Amino acid sequence: MKDLSDYELWESLKKGDLKAFSTLFKMFYPLLHNYGLKISNHNTQLTEDSLQDFFIYVYEHRKNLSSLDSIQPYLYAAFRRHLLKDIKKSSKIVDSNSKDDFFVDINFSKEDLMIQQEIKDFKQLNLPLLLNRLPNRQKEILYLKYYSNLSNGDISEVMGINYQSVSNLIYKGIKALRQDVLLKNLVKNIN
Amino acid sequence: MNSKEYNKIEEFVNDPSFINWVNKSQLTDVKFWEHWMYQNPDRKQLVLDAQDIVLGLSFKKATLTEDKVNGEWEKLEQKIKMTSQEVSCKIPFYKNRQFQSIAATLLLFIAISGVYFSNTSTTIIHKAAFGEVSDINLPDGTRVKLNSNSTLSYDDSNVREVFLEGEAYFNVKKKPATKAKFIVKTNDLDIKVYGTSFNVNNRKAKTKVFLEEGNITLRLKNGIEKKMTPGDLISYSYENNRIVEETKLIRSELQTSWKNGSLIFDRSTLESAMQDIEDTYGFDVIFKEESIKTTLITGAMPTQNLEICIKTIEKSTNVTIVNENNKLYIHKN
Repeated sequence: MKDLSDYELWESLKKGDLKAFSTLFKMFYPLLHNYGLKISNHNTQLTEDSLQDFFIYVYEHRKNLSSLDSIQPYLYAAFRRHLLKDIKKSSKIVDSNSKDDFFVDINFSKEDLMIQQEIKDFKQLNLPLLLNRLPNRQKEILYLKYYSNLSNGDISEVMGINYQSVSNLIYKGIKALRQDVLLKNLVKNIN
Repeated sequence: MNSKEYNKIEEFVNDPSFINWVNKSQLTDVKFWEHWMYQNPDRKQLVLDAQDIVLGLSFKKATLTEDKVNGEWEKLEQKIKMTSQEVSCKIPFYKNRQFQSIAATLLLFIAISGVYFSNTSTTIIHKAAFGEVSDINLPDGTRVKLNSNSTLSYDDSNVREVFLEGEAYFNVKKKPATKAKFIVKTNDLDIKVYGTSFNVNNRKAKTKVFLEEGNITLRLKNGIEKKMTPGDLISYSYENNRIVEETKLIRSELQTSWKNGSLIFDRSTLESAMQDIEDTYGFDVIFKEESIKTTLITGAMPTQNLEICIKTIEKSTNVTIVNENNKLYIHKN
């Protein structure tokens, strides 16, 4: 089962093959679970309930699914939509703009990052703090790129923004991060 | 990998093949970049700096246990099997044992939840974004103006008790028949009101209340109660447990001009004026020189047009303000 390509795995699912579905589930559940926690601001109950509903929905609509060459971006995009719907339902916010950016506010913590102790630049840094200062969209894009290793094309599919915007936002995010790093180093050297 | 010059770190960091080289995960990419570095020794430092950033942005992988994942799968499988069982059953559905037990459970659930539904209430939340002033009419007839970056919330089962974060001006509707109080809560204090107009500013870990008309009792979070009469201004911080300010204002418009879209200053320090501007527009304010903080400023400026606001300040005091990266830098001329 593990040697099947994404395309073949997905086709098996469409035919109702539970074994294939189980393989798919076990492959992507941990990733989607982590993504869900980040989107829902660590609401484990909401994320796990949403995941169950999501996978059931996928299975029940298997006959209508189109064929895929790459499962990961599709699942990410679809689950993101599904989870956001659940979050908006449970948030009871009235008359404020309900754009995704408002709801998806990723919070990075030290536990998320493998801090490379040997890199002198990063030793004194509070990298999560710097990351958290970035605008919401940039945070989510950096998360998708560096945690889930999605390509810029995949990311544009997941977040529903165009490819050029993805590249630009990554560029901006890294630039801002680097300026913070340089600034901190400058201050360090002066002291 | 197309027409990029690779003169800036951001180009490296954005490139998947470069990331692969850093993580040593694709042989072709590793070989490519090793060769590239050999051919471009002048940019070696750039590469190393970029490598630092990519490594720095390494996230730990998901740490769900296999048991957990298997458990979730089993839950899912159960649900899938249940729905397919109902479909493939040959006996009439109402005779199906499983259906009967499910139907019974549903009826029981509806019966029980009937009781619960009538007890739940919904929380209503109103938010105003930066640079925005929002008018709200509460169900009891009270009118509230919500200032920039502020949130007002309440339970629909108790609409005369509201929670405020930020700033708002209240026009509370008197309830002479029931004599029902209206209560405004912030982190620092509760305000008990009997049909009245007043301004509440809860920013920066303190709450400032200014009473325009009517009468109010403040119940500070440390237990002390303070009665207020029109013109009184009290500012209390629960975090520091002290009354920061307690005066009588003659010119109420200094506290409430924001409602009409302007900020009015009457010999305020530039530092405190910029604080109000920071609260309104959401931009960080950075003074380049200590001495200009105490310059006094008098005048009126708009709350919804940053450009005019900046120009007004520059003209009335001797400073230049530069807006860069959503930060306002102020320095002497």
